[in-house]
Amino acid sequence: MQRPVEYGRQGWLRVSALVVLGFLYVPILTMVVFSFNENPVIGLPLRGPTLDWYRAFIDNEDVLESIVNGAMVAAGCVCLGVGFGLPAAIALDRHEFPGKAFFRRVVLLPIVLPGVITGVALLNFLVLVSIPLSLWTIVLGVGTALICITVTEVFARLQQLGRSQEEAAENLGATPAEVFFRVTLPNISTALWGSALITYAIAFDELAVTYLLTGRDNTLPMALWSMLRREATPEINAIATTVFAASAVVLVAGLWLSRGRGEQVQS
Amino acid sequence: MALELVDLVKAFPGADAAHPAVDRVSLTIERGSFVSLIGSSGCGKTTTLRMIAGLEFPDRGRILHEGRDVTLVPTSERGMRMMFQDYALFPHMTVGENVAFGLRLRRQRGRHTAGEIDRLVDEQLERVHLPGLRGRKPAELSGGQRQRVALARALITDPEVLLFDEPLGALDAGLRRAMQFELKRLHAELGKTFVYVTHDQHEALAMSDRIAVMHAGRVLQYATPEDIYFTPRTRYVARFVGSANLLDGVLVDADRRVGRVRLPNGSVIEGSAPEDAPAGTRVAAVIRADRIEIRPAGSTDAVRGTVQERLFLGTHDEFLVRLDGLDADVSVHRPTGTGGAISVGDPVGLAWQPENVRVLSE
Repeated sequence: MQRPVEYGRQGWLRVSALVVLGFLYVPILTMVVFSFNENPVIGLPLRGPTLDWYRAFIDNEDVLESIVNGAMVAAGCVCLGVGFGLPAAIALDRHEFPGKAFFRRVVLLPIVLPGVITGVALLNFLVLVSIPLSLWTIVLGVGTALICITVTEVFARLQQLGRSQEEAAENLGATPAEVFFRVTLPNISTALWGSALITYAIAFDELAVTYLLTGRDNTLPMALWSMLRREATPEINAIATTVFAASAVVLVAGLWLSRGRGEQVQS
Repeated sequence: MALELVDLVKAFPGADAAHPAVDRVSLTIERGSFVSLIGSSGCGKTTTLRMIAGLEFPDRGRILHEGRDVTLVPTSERGMRMMFQDYALFPHMTVGENVAFGLRLRRQRGRHTAGEIDRLVDEQLERVHLPGLRGRKPAELSGGQRQRVALARALITDPEVLLFDEPLGALDAGLRRAMQFELKRLHAELGKTFVYVTHDQHEALAMSDRIAVMHAGRVLQYATPEDIYFTPRTRYVARFVGSANLLDGVLVDADRRVGRVRLPNGSVIEGSAPEDAPAGTRVAAVIRADRIEIRPAGSTDAVRGTVQERLFLGTHDEFLVRLDGLDADVSVHRPTGTGGAISVGDPVGLAWQPENVRVLSE
């Protein structure tokens, strides 16, 4: 009998894995380290740890406001993306309607198109119909493009789920609403949480569309960008480190949540 | 009568309209009886069952339940419970929650207290021999246990009709047999109407009061297991249910449902026919393998042949005999240990009683 290949023992594989991980995380580590560096110029030598840059960050109302703005925009995008993506996925999986094949492709288009193009198109359109630019127009522009995330995630889950559970529930006397809330929704909840998290993360650091569609308000990536254009101070490192830590917490929480429920869903 | 299917027709979109999935199916299913729909895959048996359940709706025809037309009534309003091939348990609920599902729906609100539901769930789990498992998740159960949970979930709402879509298809042979006995027992105990879909003719013969053999969307024969087995009406039924030999020939004459068939080698076989066809009709003589007597060749034998193959099957030996002057093999079953020694290559004589021969034109 042939022995299975033990990938862990192959040296080149370990090395290349380490190189890739290093490429991803060493810059982040550098950023974290420099956020505690007293030296006002980003670079060596390292001088005594300090929390000055974090203090500067907390005192910087523009940045704080941009974080709140970004969080609100991302939340709006999640509402829009999940709110329209869920019914669209159900329609694609469970119902026949004219133009279904076309709809399936068209719904994926915004994520394939470069953000700049979507942004310019939307900007032209909004100016044309004289809608003033604001955080709402960002939600509209970014959120609609991200509908496809929920559509694809939930559609895949529904396909995998099949119809028999829903048929069984209906056969036992459940109304369509009961079938949806007691059988369908629990079965696709992990897919919904997953798409909400991905949508939130993408919307939070979206720059191209946001730059074109925003009014007076800034989101975090825009605030950071304009700060960088003026002067790169370690304060940026402090902000980025904080955002990184928060994202890590959300990510771990999301994974933990979806794993906990995933066990129940597998039959 | 509990259920009446009248001229049901169902074609699926995109499929050949000239050959619908279900083609003019009419059946009367007595209240409290156990009826099986059998046939190979694609014969329309599952579609017929799903139309009875209200999970599909026919293009034409009607379904009557206790005289009431339910053709277009949604499945949730029919009072019939379906057992799905994949069990369709709800994976996010415990066994107890699965079983209680039907009682906790809005339509049942106020009919049962929480304590009553608890008691009923325990009662049903006991009935299907799964006491003490109500806290488990479906993922923690074996296939046979899931099957029983699905059964308990169906029974708890006290339906008048139970519909089974190949429920034992996924179980191994031993478990399958145990569940067959179990379902028979439940049927006798509950007195409810069971409609059962299977592709396994042995299962259908063992369990049913009546069997409908389906082929290409049509019901070929609807009769008791004994009738289906001993007096098939068509060649397809004869071949599908059990091991029958079909010998093609031409009808010499037929009178009062006794036909005589001339085989290509000139020998003539007599048997009973479902109807008197005109002489010259192309027919088949159907003889079951276990109704043929085999013995070493003698001068008096009307039908002779040569043994091509001998298989030892435990309870009986199976011989494949090539008939003299015919391009056809006949299978013969002989109980183990009876008669003289016969080996491959031996010339043998075959004999049977005319009442064990069916002459079929369809």
